[in-house]
Amino acid sequence: MRAARPAALAAPVIGILLALVPVIAPRNVSLLNLGFFTFLYVARGVAWNILGGFAGYISFGYAAFFGLGAYTTALLWLRGWAPVATYPLAGLVAAAFSLVVGAPTLRLVGPYFSIATIGVGEAMRILALNLDRVTGGASGLNLPTTVPSKGWFYTAALVCAAVSFAIAAGVRRSRFGLGLQALRMDQEAAESLGVRTALFKNLAHILSAFLVGACGGLEATYLQYLHPDSVFGFTESISLVLITLIGGLGTLWGPVLGAAVFYAVQDYLLASYPTLHLLVYGVLLILILLFEPKGLAGLAARLWRRMQVSR
Amino acid sequence: MTAALTLEHLTKRFGGLVAVQDVTVEIAAGGITGLIGPNGAGKTTLFRVITGGVRPSAGRALYYGREITGWSAHAVCRLGACVTHQIVRPFADLTVLENVLVGAAFGGSHRLGGLTARAEAEAVLEFTGLARRRDVLASTLTLAERKRLEIARALATRPRVLLLDEVLAGLTPAETDQAVALVRAIRDRGITIVMIEHVMRAVMDLSDRVLVLNYGRLIADGLPAEVTRNPQVIEAYLGRDFGVM
Repeated sequence: MRAARPAALAAPVIGILLALVPVIAPRNVSLLNLGFFTFLYVARGVAWNILGGFAGYISFGYAAFFGLGAYTTALLWLRGWAPVATYPLAGLVAAAFSLVVGAPTLRLVGPYFSIATIGVGEAMRILALNLDRVTGGASGLNLPTTVPSKGWFYTAALVCAAVSFAIAAGVRRSRFGLGLQALRMDQEAAESLGVRTALFKNLAHILSAFLVGACGGLEATYLQYLHPDSVFGFTESISLVLITLIGGLGTLWGPVLGAAVFYAVQDYLLASYPTLHLLVYGVLLILILLFEPKGLAGLAARLWRRMQVSR
Repeated sequence: MTAALTLEHLTKRFGGLVAVQDVTVEIAAGGITGLIGPNGAGKTTLFRVITGGVRPSAGRALYYGREITGWSAHAVCRLGACVTHQIVRPFADLTVLENVLVGAAFGGSHRLGGLTARAEAEAVLEFTGLARRRDVLASTLTLAERKRLEIARALATRPRVLLLDEVLAGLTPAETDQAVALVRAIRDRGITIVMIEHVMRAVMDLSDRVLVLNYGRLIADGLPAEVTRNPQVIEAYLGRDFGVM
């Protein structure tokens, strides 16, 4: 609701600058890959934050949406569809599933909701592992090898991140966003002031599931090989929670910063120390919970204010 | 003229406990009705049954002749009956203005556009004397201001019937006087008020009619002066000293 001018301008400027990278360095594959994965994490973190941050429903089950999106694209692609055309459908399948899951689970509050979502996520993974006729089961699914350039993937992921960000920013300053914030702080009070809390929670869930599902579709195109343990894995769910908590729960820029740090740490450490990144995330999480509940975004805002004062 | 609220044999059981028992009453439009009774008499439960927080076990509730039994809370609020909470529940991380904006943007039978809702919220802040504090976070308000914010948010939903749950509790004498003046001003706008209150001086002063609840049953109903002389009420709630007064 509180408009911040420099921040409103920052997003499009950063977006345009990033969009120039494939033009300037079309052959720098490692940079384009870094961008692709980071932007996809940004897109998913921002989307997750619409339900988790704005409405306060911490879900540990978003791998279900990501995996459904990935398999939707994969199966249609194998039937001759152009991958790009399948992304909206991947989102829709995830959104439809979120409605089925959300209707019962969003009645639960706090940790009860979170625990239920873990169950949903794992159930989907087990289901995908066992439906071998459709998903290829434990041997995975090989996808066509004719794919666009790295530069194309980079730009597509950037578009996903931008769309996600624009939607979250729009939600935040809208009546819908005000309702979500109110129900996060006090559901009963919000309800008694006329907020249709059940409807709003489900809408937030559907919206974020749609975006995460579409991201799953794009990632499937990139990977060319799908396995239930990767796209439906619990790691995928927990990543989105970590990204948002590290970056700043409920803030607009938090998941953006969180995703950048999250993927940079993982990318840098994974090759030489395969499990060290987990320790880094753990330490970061503890520090944030203890000292800055609004995460990196809160820290940045604090430093910004200090600079304003000292000037 | 149809009554603002009609309750017919309204009953709420929690397991073996009967919190509200066979309450039948009509509340006419306009004026202030006091609802008193000892702790645990079922006053707040009765409010919640009317405004959709809890579903009644039996009986009916009508708002201007329209059945609202078992409606959800947001629907009752949009129809025009709004309740404030005994334990204040501000949206702590929103500003005072944003708190009131929630009521303005979501309450009421017709939806206000963004700018109209904002203007409505500002007008309500002015009316309730919170305009000075509009940009501070609700978590920084004093208790008296929080109680006022409860009322302001409810008013922003543009209700025809306002149910106030102990808006005077915990206030200093000076704050109580201000709050009493505010309740009068709301009544003068033509809003029907039902108020649960323990501050006897204020209830007797404000109310045109007093209802007394004890163990979930309505044991008295009448003018303030009549009710204070009712032996059952003295026995159950007021105590002998009050009768002598």
